[in-house]
Amino acid sequence: MTRQDAIARFGTLAGGIAVFVGFSIASENFLTLANQLTILRQVSFLLILALGFTFALITSELDLSFANVASLCGVITGGLIHFGYNPILAIAAGLAAGVAFGALNGILVTRVKIPSLITTLATASVARGLAFMATDGVAWVGRWDQSFVWLGRGRLLGLPVLVIWSAILAVIAWFVVAQTRFGVWLTATGEADEAARLAGIPIRRMKLWGLTLSGLFAGISAILLTASLSSAGPTAAGDFLMSGIAAVLLGMTMFTPGKPNMPGTLVGALVIGVLSNGLVLIGAPYYVQDIALGIIILGSVAISASTLGKAAFGI
Amino acid sequence: MSGEPILELRGLAKRYGAVDALRGVDLTVARGETLAICGDNGAGKSTLIRIISGAQPPSAGEIRLKGRTVHFASPADALQQGVATIYQDLALAPRMAIYQNVFMGSELLRRSPVPGLKLLDKPAMRQAAKGYLGRLKIRLEDMDIAVNTLSGGQRQAVAIARALRWQADIVIMDEPTAALGVKETRQVLDLIHEIKGQGITVLLISHNMRDVVEVADRAAIMKGGTKVADLAVPGMTPEGLAALIMGDG
Repeated sequence: MTRQDAIARFGTLAGGIAVFVGFSIASENFLTLANQLTILRQVSFLLILALGFTFALITSELDLSFANVASLCGVITGGLIHFGYNPILAIAAGLAAGVAFGALNGILVTRVKIPSLITTLATASVARGLAFMATDGVAWVGRWDQSFVWLGRGRLLGLPVLVIWSAILAVIAWFVVAQTRFGVWLTATGEADEAARLAGIPIRRMKLWGLTLSGLFAGISAILLTASLSSAGPTAAGDFLMSGIAAVLLGMTMFTPGKPNMPGTLVGALVIGVLSNGLVLIGAPYYVQDIALGIIILGSVAISASTLGKAAFGI
Repeated sequence: MSGEPILELRGLAKRYGAVDALRGVDLTVARGETLAICGDNGAGKSTLIRIISGAQPPSAGEIRLKGRTVHFASPADALQQGVATIYQDLALAPRMAIYQNVFMGSELLRRSPVPGLKLLDKPAMRQAAKGYLGRLKIRLEDMDIAVNTLSGGQRQAVAIARALRWQADIVIMDEPTAALGVKETRQVLDLIHEIKGQGITVLLISHNMRDVVEVADRAAIMKGGTKVADLAVPGMTPEGLAALIMGDG
């Protein structure tokens, strides 16, 4: 590996570590075990959403609906719990809503041929509207079934369960993409759809899968978020749109530069989690985070484009 | 022509609306033969190749492969039946590894400890890909490097290695040297000699008559959607062939 290669692959990771060290020096509360676990807990929702988005992006399709779909899934699951339904039913309904929205996105993109940018922008709006319709615009809060709440707040082996769930999902996502034929087909579809089609890969089905998995992961994240908050509001996951996209794009600047990849998404989500947490601890005003996210998104895509020698997205 | 026919086309026709792109083409190709399909733009070469490669169905006529009538549903279907097409733009995924391109769509799998779950057999694919490229006299050590870091000739070799992986009987090459420089053209012509040497039938579409004269056994000359000449190449000059294409046939 040449020096230039190493910088391209691991430069962002080094930058992330530098940010981490910086906050450790700037704030005495940053490096405490309690705070580190808080970061991991906060990152888990973002990470799971970002893993899902990575599946879609690997097939070269955007999903701008995952955050609003997650809010809707949270409202569905939370609402059923709130009104006393069986938690398993509530969870199944939330997951089903995520899968349904993901599959709807996939069908609109692959069959009706609406570009994913437009499709998912529109379905995001639909999901948001449905979430407000279901809740009348307020959040349901209550003393909910403890077994359900444990999914978001419990501890296992001394670790918050959220950290365990998200780690398991990250490993599964990486494994599927890197070690299975399904994963290679997703990648080939996104990398060179015509070549993939000529090689007999069902590219429309792979894109449908990419977007459906994004919906499924939105559903999973929503359930954990709802359990963790013991509440379900129509905009609960809305803020994760920008941070989720930023995590994935930041991830594209490392390991396999210019390509969406699961290990990159993991590190990208951690960097953004550290950044949000650290900014709060050093007393930066709330709006600094939005500005930072915007700069990360632009910077990441610029880096990807320069390593590729062309625009990172043909979308 | 000698040897048993591997591919026979009978009365092949293709209409696009009111346009007859192909009118009753008969063509027989012997096993191991290299046949050049020549003609000016609009002569029907591309249409003919699209039909043989499975990209389009014919409007009329019959394709017989190894003595059996076949219908190709898609290029992937044709590939499974032994007809591999090396496209002009190569149809490779430029940022994916060499071995991933060679095995695209037909990856080798291995068992895993989990029943029913099969995993990619990357070591086997790397080794086999290296073997196919070795058969083409292309020496590359690292099968993990991206195809876009290879030379034009090496990329052609990767595309041909995919055909070898499918044990294709027939390899169709559409203008394989069109975008290449002198040195790389040489490499590709050598590749064609290599696959000929392994008994694989080659259908070559080319505008370059020097290439045709160097590698082809026979040339079918197309004009206005029909085959106007079918002749042995050895002994012909590039100029003589070009005159046939340009002239009255």
